[in-house]
Amino acid sequence: LCILQHGAVGQGQSTPATCSPLCRCDEDGGADCSGRGLTAVPSGLSAFTYYLDLSMNNITELPANVFRNLPYLEELRLAGNDLSYIHPEALSGLHQLKVLMLQNNQLRTVPSAALRNLQALQSLRLDANHITLVPDNSFEGLQQLRHLWLDDNNLTEVPIVPLRHQGNLQALTLALNRITRIPDSAFANLSSLVVLHLHNNRIQEMGKNCFAGLENLETLDLNFNNLKTFPEAIQSLPKLKELGFHSNNIAEIPEGAFHRNPLLRTIHLYDNPLSFVGITAFQNLSDLHSLILRGASMMKDFPSLTGTVNLESLTLTGTKIRSLPAELCDDLGLLRTLDLSYNEIEEVPSFQGCGRLQDISLQHNQIKQIERDTFQGLSALRVLDLSRNQIKFIHEDAFLSLSGLTNMDLSLNSLVSVPTAGLSSLNQLKLSGNLDMKNTLVAKSLPKLRSISVPYAYQCCAFTARDGPGSSAGEEDKSKATGEDEDMDRMPLVVHCSPSPGAFKPCDYLLGSWMI
Amino acid sequence: EVVPSCSSGCENCSEYNGCLKCKPRLFILLERNDIRQIGVCLAACPVGYYGMRNRDMNKCTPCKIENCETCFSRNFCAKCKEGMYSHRGRCYQSCPEGLSTVNSTMECAG
Repeated sequence: LCILQHGAVGQGQSTPATCSPLCRCDEDGGADCSGRGLTAVPSGLSAFTYYLDLSMNNITELPANVFRNLPYLEELRLAGNDLSYIHPEALSGLHQLKVLMLQNNQLRTVPSAALRNLQALQSLRLDANHITLVPDNSFEGLQQLRHLWLDDNNLTEVPIVPLRHQGNLQALTLALNRITRIPDSAFANLSSLVVLHLHNNRIQEMGKNCFAGLENLETLDLNFNNLKTFPEAIQSLPKLKELGFHSNNIAEIPEGAFHRNPLLRTIHLYDNPLSFVGITAFQNLSDLHSLILRGASMMKDFPSLTGTVNLESLTLTGTKIRSLPAELCDDLGLLRTLDLSYNEIEEVPSFQGCGRLQDISLQHNQIKQIERDTFQGLSALRVLDLSRNQIKFIHEDAFLSLSGLTNMDLSLNSLVSVPTAGLSSLNQLKLSGNLDMKNTLVAKSLPKLRSISVPYAYQCCAFTARDGPGSSAGEEDKSKATGEDEDMDRMPLVVHCSPSPGAFKPCDYLLGSWMI
Repeated sequence: EVVPSCSSGCENCSEYNGCLKCKPRLFILLERNDIRQIGVCLAACPVGYYGMRNRDMNKCTPCKIENCETCFSRNFCAKCKEGMYSHRGRCYQSCPEGLSTVNSTMECAG
């Protein structure tokens, strides 16, 4: 990196100027003049400069022909100045310019005249200005435009006419403006558009055909708007993969909502006051990996997921759903996380077909019993939460397959006893709140247990005999000395049991019965 | 402890972590300096990052698209690395089947 002699370009100088003293230039034709408090474009730059960074200075205006000596310029950065005026001839001569960065300035309108002849321009950044007006001819000459940033401005409507001839545009953001409606055919000729961001506007109304013409759109971001109804206009988007409309005011997801969007991978729809979801809304979405539906409080029927065969995570909470389809797992063979908490489920089918399940949350329902086959075959299951139900009975073989289960929460049910066969890996068990469970538990059948909560303190006596690594060593010596039953050596090392029997240790003195 | 003068574009900073809050509409970039993170305020994010604008914060976010030099967004590349062909926001060593190469713009077409 070197700063050579300053001089004007092409004016008979013996040694052509290659840099300005106000900049740092490299041998490849890059000039960095950023953050130097400049109020004007420095002169004396090499005619072969292809990259010029003037960002974060104090340039307020661009006069005519200011870059006329830089015909090879490909990238011009003027971000973070105080630009409020660009002369119509300011950018003339920049026939090879591909990237123009004008973001974070004070522009109130798109400098359409200045942009007119930039035939090679591919990326145009106008974000974070104060643009309220986009003249109809703004982008007319820009036939190679691929990426356009107009976000974080003061637009109140989609610049339909200016965008009309942008057949090569692939990525457009109009986010963070004040757009209130999207009229029909707003993006009619943008046949190459792949990404469209409209988040953080005030969109209330969308024409049914407002996305007509966007046959290649893959990502549509409508988050943080004021939509009251489901954006049915997405039916014009056959290639849609990513859709976001979270944080709106949508109450219903209609039947067949996404039947014209078979390639959908992600749908973000949380933070909507959902009350109803059509049963067929999420059918045949074979690329969908995750579905999160919270708080659809009026929903009574479990949605049909036929054809949505690659779901790995399903969250459906806060509904009035009372039962689950028996064939739930027919299409959900790849499911790993299932959260059906906070519904009104009374019966659960067998999850046998969901062989990859690792995490099941069924807390806060009205489940009454667990059958022999409910969790059969779920050897990958790690976490099972059945707390806050009304479970009275669990079949003794219900957990036989759960060799990988480490955490189980059965608290606040109506259990009298709990089967432990199969729970060889369990290290956390919660049983508190099962007030009818009065018998003592058998510690030996839970060899890996580290933490347990039980309904009554005396039930901890079976576990606290070995409570804590320190004390256990002492206990072991004591048991050898007193010749106690050999089985004690195979007793689990329980690190924590609650509620603990208390300060005066009734396990030792009251002959083991809390009832006395 | 508040440093008497924050760096350019910064509204609130600390000696240990640099800028904590940038002036409106600027992007904050968290640079790593040993075990510390140093906040820097920029009008344009550096190569390998893209500017994510939101109501409450603008942040330079790592661009994770394979072989991409400049991201437009999380899943769309605006400029691929040298020698790579771009198609619909992705970068390819050679154009996918059925598409032809356009060397002038290093794109796949068809």
